[in-house]
Amino acid sequence: METDILIIGAGPAGLAAAFEMASKGLDVTIVDESITMGGQLNQQTQVIPSLPSSFQSMRGFELAAHLTKQLEEYDIRYLLGHRVIGFYKDGSVGITDEQDVFAVKAKKIIVATGAAENAVAFPKWTLPGVMTIGAAQTMINRDFVQPGKEAVIVGSSDFALDAALQLSEVGVHVKGFIEKNAGILSRDLEKIEQVKKMGIPIYLDSFIKEARGMGAVEEIEIEIGTRVLTEKVDLVCVDGGRSPILDIFYQLGCSFGYQKELGGWVPQYNHQFQTDRQDIFLAGNAAGISTQGVLLVTGMLAGINVCEAVGAITKTIADEEKDFLWKELEILETKYNPNIWEARNRHMENFAHPVIKEQFLS
Amino acid sequence: MDKSTIICRCEEISYEEIEEVLTNGATTFDDIKRLTRCGMGPCQSKICHSLVASMIHEKTNTPYFQIPLPRMRMPLSPIKLETLATNSTSFSSVKSVMDEVELEDGKVR
Ligand SMILES: Cc1cc2nc3c(=O)[nH]c(=O)nc-3n(C[C@H](O)[C@H](O)[C@H](O)COP(=O)(O)OP(=O)(O)OC[C@H]3O[C@@H](n4cnc5c(N)ncnc54)[C@H](O)[C@@H]3O)c2cc1C
Ligand code: FES
Repeated sequence: METDILIIGAGPAGLAAAFEMASKGLDVTIVDESITMGGQLNQQTQVIPSLPSSFQSMRGFELAAHLTKQLEEYDIRYLLGHRVIGFYKDGSVGITDEQDVFAVKAKKIIVATGAAENAVAFPKWTLPGVMTIGAAQTMINRDFVQPGKEAVIVGSSDFALDAALQLSEVGVHVKGFIEKNAGILSRDLEKIEQVKKMGIPIYLDSFIKEARGMGAVEEIEIEIGTRVLTEKVDLVCVDGGRSPILDIFYQLGCSFGYQKELGGWVPQYNHQFQTDRQDIFLAGNAAGISTQGVLLVTGMLAGINVCEAVGAITKTIADEEKDFLWKELEILETKYNPNIWEARNRHMENFAHPVIKEQFLS
Repeated sequence: MDKSTIICRCEEISYEEIEEVLTNGATTFDDIKRLTRCGMGPCQSKICHSLVASMIHEKTNTPYFQIPLPRMRMPLSPIKLETLATNSTSFSSVKSVMDEVELEDGKVR
């Protein structure tokens, strides 16, 4: 199969990029291993703060539907329920529909594969009942399954607070937040207030010393400073932060740079959201963990840069659109996370310096 | 951390086992993998690699930006051999190997 552009990942970033390119007449193919479009937005029931100016305020799953709908009038090839499993020598992408593996040859590829949640280890963390906050959120909002009755949350980021509020809404008793740092990580004062009003304690300088249970988690020991607290719980939701998913970039031979604030190792890219492989662009959480509004803008920017690279729009038009979007990205990213914006800029500056690839091969 | 804590859940490799290979001179994820099987489970290190990176950081004082990523190989996620040995005609090294297999009276020659 041949296509002008292949987008890997139909999350907000991939869909935003698809719109920019399809609306300029490019032949676009989208591949995603899930059968639904929208990526992680599908289980987000909270109203998403600070979307780009062209969007109305809405909830995550509504945003997924909106992004899907705005592509309806274009002739896009969807490979849903398909996985990218590798690459061929001639550069074609190996995709499987679980029956066969076939090759897709694309002039340009945008990788928007999102992020994975990091694990948090403590004794017996492998007991059933211990899961990431994202998994708990997926269970209640997508699968309509209550993952437990008595819960604690490890972490205190915005995402952890959202998960706690959504768990409470469906009747899970959230018994506390366990934060290893000396302060709450979330900067959303409104949400912190909401959590405090509900009377959920937030333990700082604390961690899970041990989980116990026969075949499932039944009880945990929380170490808080010099004190140890035992809680009966059947659900422990851990927030270890998120990191970009890198396997596709690795196979493509892209180089990486380390930026803690962006989630650790991130593919090296320039202001065009182009990796050191000229035909490979990236967008979304794969380009550094940020908020949904920012991820949409990175998708739009990647889309416009690809349009320019294949000659679908002139440089003048592209520059005008990009100027506007970069300003928007700066506003959205500095509002909540100025340190992420700074890290992103450092990361892009590093692109100009020679990067050593071999260092990553062991 | 308690030494019995599992670090690689797919292969059930504990903190203690990884600590041991680190004291014996391992410096990267792939060193640890080759010595313990950590990272060789169905998730192909997607779950354990960040935990192992923090162990390497703690035990050897190596800054994170100097701890290389684990090698990520094809196929990127588990796939049935039957699927990999696809009907598609355009390629695949496995396909070509399978092509050369000839059956005679139901037996591979
Ligand atoms: C379970 C979960 C819940 C979350 N909830 C929240 C929340 O409530 N609040 C918040 O602020 N953030 C949340 N996040 C963060 C979330 O990552 C972002 O909000 C946003 O969805 C990321 O957008 P993206 O387009 O970069 O990636 P994604 O939305 O993850 O989209 C990437 C897509 O790529 C596909 N893909 C990846 N690899 C392959 C492959 N090899 N072949 C084919 N397809 C592939 C995936 O199936 C996925 O659909 C959550 C994350 C997770 C994991
Ligand atoms: S947790 Fe180590 S390979 Fe899966």
